[in-house]
Amino acid sequence: MVTVKFTPALKRFFPEIKEEEVLANSVEEALEKLEDRYVGINTYLRDESGHLRKHINIFIDETMVTDRQHLSDLLEGKKEILIFQALSGG
Amino acid sequence: MTKEELQRYARHFVLPEFGREGQEKLRAAKVLVVGAGGLGSPLLLYLAAAGVGEIGIIDDDVVDLSNLQRQVLYTTEDIGKPKAEMAKIRIQALNPHIKVTAYKIRLDIDNVLDIMAPYDIIADGTDNFPTRYLVNDACVLAGKVNVYASIFRFEGQVAVFNYPNPDGSRGVNYRDLFPEPPDPDAVPNCAEGGVLGVLPGIIGSMQANEVIKVATGIGQPLAGRLFMMDTTTFDTRTLKIPKNPNLKIESLEALAEYCATPQYSHLTLSAEEYMDWLSRQEQHFLLDVREVNEYEIHNMGGHLIPLGQLSQKIKEIPTDKKIVVHCKGGVRSTQAIAYLQEVGGFGDLYNLEGGIMAWEAIQTVKK
Repeated sequence: MVTVKFTPALKRFFPEIKEEEVLANSVEEALEKLEDRYVGINTYLRDESGHLRKHINIFIDETMVTDRQHLSDLLEGKKEILIFQALSGG
Repeated sequence: MTKEELQRYARHFVLPEFGREGQEKLRAAKVLVVGAGGLGSPLLLYLAAAGVGEIGIIDDDVVDLSNLQRQVLYTTEDIGKPKAEMAKIRIQALNPHIKVTAYKIRLDIDNVLDIMAPYDIIADGTDNFPTRYLVNDACVLAGKVNVYASIFRFEGQVAVFNYPNPDGSRGVNYRDLFPEPPDPDAVPNCAEGGVLGVLPGIIGSMQANEVIKVATGIGQPLAGRLFMMDTTTFDTRTLKIPKNPNLKIESLEALAEYCATPQYSHLTLSAEEYMDWLSRQEQHFLLDVREVNEYEIHNMGGHLIPLGQLSQKIKEIPTDKKIVVHCKGGVRSTQAIAYLQEVGGFGDLYNLEGGIMAWEAIQTVKK
């Protein structure tokens, strides 16, 4: 099981979003499982090709995801995924 | 240093890590603050108060009533006046011993390197992605340190980019974290998504702290790390940003299209022309593409469809009338018109230049 944490900015689109536990082998699998709980979240995080959108980033146990295209980074032995986005405000 | 300066900075002198030497370094520092808004307000006040010798302020905007909830540099009397100039007056009054230069222009690919040239440290407190990428890339090309901060709703981020390493190379930059600029409308700004008034005060003060650390060499700057804070829970994090060995920034040319104001072919109406339309009862449909909360504060009686909801509510827009589209200042309305043109089937589409701000400005003049 890995804990998924989200940037609070996502609450604008998914008001009920909160920390989740998922059983997944890769980041992609984790995101697919989150779709059941937050319908449309993959559309927000990934583009039509499935790549991570430009303003989104993911860290796995404090290490930046390496495969932004296919999200194949493995989760074995990992504890946490952090999903956040670029902020433009000033 | 004069006797008055010695007294002014007395609390710095008693800090053993700072002392007279730190103050001299601050006096020699030249810092360009990009954006004199929410982040720029505390940033400029603290940099001026601390005695940064030379400060540049670049902002092409004017003070709006809706800024005053967080932009503590300004007063109600400043509404309608240029931010760069008002900020200069305020911080110069706070500290007359420093040199302040105001640039009442928008940073673009043609002027960015020239404007940055006299400064050592660039503090990015802008409110849009094109300028953030422009500042980042220009800092990499010109070898300047970029002290970055950004905010949205209740959340803030701070980092120090392009910091010099002991071996002479440079540390990570913004593109190591977010390699490509997002589509202009992919991420809402504070006007659309809101921002807690005190948030830029917190994050902008942290940004000022990093500028002072970089300028004086005290402590460990946030170089290569991203600090994130959620003020609703007080959760904070500092993540190490890895350097992308394949990342190369060799010119600003690639940003030309991204940073350019969208050039869509559409008709425009000035606020004066629109007033003339109203006086001769020109038949039209007024579409307001701002957010609900903006509409509630003030509106022109238009039909409200926030830009992000345009595709779902497009059937609410008539196809047999001239359509005048407006937002706060004219940017979102331009995007809305581009979308409506893409969909097609509508009558003449007019962009109200300067949006509701221009409209309200001429109402004020009339009074």
